[in-house]
Amino acid sequence: MSAPELNSIPISARIQTIRRLTADTALFRLQLDGDRTFPFIPGQFVQLSVPGGGEVPISPADLPAVDGTIELCVRRFGHVTSLLHRSRTGDRVGIRGPFGNGFPVDAMAGKDVLLLAGGLGIAPLRSLLFHLLRHRSDIRSLTLMYGAREPAVMLFKDELLELATTGSLRLLLTVDFLSDTGQAEPACNVGLLPALLKGVQLEPGRSCAAVCGPPALYRCTIDELLLAGVAEDDIYLSLERRMKCGVGLCCHCAVGQLLCCCEGPVFSYRDIKNIPGAL
Amino acid sequence: MKQRFLADNALGQFLDWLTHYGVLHGPTRTAEGVDAFGPVQTESDLCLDYRRTLIPPKKYLLPPRQTILNYTTAAGYTLPDRPAPQQVLFGVHSCDLQGIAYLDRVFLGDRPDQLYRRYRNALTLVGLSCEPDPFCFCASSEKAPRNADLFLQRLEHGFIVSAETTRGKGMLAGLEPLLTEIEAIPPPPVESRMMIRLRNAAERGSTFPDSPLWENFAARCLSCGACSVCCPTCYCFDVLEHGALDGMTAERLREWDNCLFRAHGEVAGGHNFRPTRRERFLYRYLHKYLGFGALAGVPACVGCGRCRVVCPVAIDLTELFAEGDDVCA
Repeated sequence: MSAPELNSIPISARIQTIRRLTADTALFRLQLDGDRTFPFIPGQFVQLSVPGGGEVPISPADLPAVDGTIELCVRRFGHVTSLLHRSRTGDRVGIRGPFGNGFPVDAMAGKDVLLLAGGLGIAPLRSLLFHLLRHRSDIRSLTLMYGAREPAVMLFKDELLELATTGSLRLLLTVDFLSDTGQAEPACNVGLLPALLKGVQLEPGRSCAAVCGPPALYRCTIDELLLAGVAEDDIYLSLERRMKCGVGLCCHCAVGQLLCCCEGPVFSYRDIKNIPGAL
Repeated sequence: MKQRFLADNALGQFLDWLTHYGVLHGPTRTAEGVDAFGPVQTESDLCLDYRRTLIPPKKYLLPPRQTILNYTTAAGYTLPDRPAPQQVLFGVHSCDLQGIAYLDRVFLGDRPDQLYRRYRNALTLVGLSCEPDPFCFCASSEKAPRNADLFLQRLEHGFIVSAETTRGKGMLAGLEPLLTEIEAIPPPPVESRMMIRLRNAAERGSTFPDSPLWENFAARCLSCGACSVCCPTCYCFDVLEHGALDGMTAERLREWDNCLFRAHGEVAGGHNFRPTRRERFLYRYLHKYLGFGALAGVPACVGCGRCRVVCPVAIDLTELFAEGDDVCA
């Protein structure tokens, strides 16, 4: 089967495990049929099919696995994701892809790397984080700043805290506000994500940032990142759009004249800063 | 130089002969008085002096609603195996041929779309020269586009017939008994200042950000989407999936979508990247005149004039090009 066919017809897969992370978000590990593996670059996306429901673009949350599994972190949001959340282990789904460019991991070599995740934006950055931890000696330092609405919806918290104990990752967590119980969470700041960037000073040209989160996150963190000394070229933004086909045909995902599904979803700030409506 | 000539009185035979290549379709006038491409049985069904059909020929390559995948629990997702209908589309004007050439670039590019290719390969195109009217503005150099298998240039008592493709050259050989020879008559030149203005704007990448026309357009637009439906190069599609009641099978469809519609820029959770009509207009402008992705810099407008004819509130995006234009002064 040639590559274009792989991109237009979903490969069959089964749901191997479902890990409920919060009330509306779960981590699905899928096992591809046959001996297939699914290579991808962190930040690329796949089109996940739920038979009878349709397709949604999702960025994998882990690294390509040799055992032909792939991990997708999905929030129950619309028609397809609701169906997925009603699925059980062993149910069939379909996968097309990978699509898009992914994060420019090679360009991060030798740099201080800052990952900024807001809410569900942690999913693709978790993939990038795993990649960078695996190649930790290639980069100078690694910091993850992750903000969630409230403690109860913070994803992968225990896992991240454990990774941070190894010393190879500096982890800063924040929540917009505390839960109704008002109980303070250990190791967690209260306030918006940009507040974590206040006073941070990085070396221009030797630092980079990868950002993924809701649209508002980009608008409020860019200025802080620039102030911190990260060059426009070195700020990588993973943009959300509704990619319906993934191959540059359906034309729902253009950012200016750039197609998010082919030329993105990861763009440098410099490439999109003058495009109205990009952020 | 001599050229091949088809006399008016041989047109009926010509149409019969075309049916060897597929079911014949051509410009007709419906009972409601709408010019439309549709099935043609006899010469009298044809409306040869039509200006433009309401819906362009894209409907033959991208059906308004099309099954793109079938799902069964046993086989997973598979391409539909139904072959595309063998069809001959007669009487296509240059602008619409240009439109098809543009769709070919989109759907047969780096990642060719298999269903489009299937439909395209099964479609034979017979072009027909036309008379411009005040709404349209194509360029004279493209009077016989290279993607027409056969092209007919209208003369007083018949047509000059030329073959533009390999398939067409083969067809022309079989057509010989119906043809006579005639001295070459060059097609009349067509002046198109608008197309030059449009291409210059595209080359400059101009979005006319300061033009007051944007607000003017946005205030009037009804978001009806007619300009996009009738555009020969608008191909945006939505993707839908319907599960069957048996719970074992499903069908995935694509159907024409419309960038003027509010839902076009929506993502999960309801956030909309193009909530206002002004933003949707700009999106349409960018795609139509400046191009997206691999076709950035390639204007899609072929000057057929349909959007200017159908807009219920007389919005004409080409007014932008006339503003402060020094090219044609």
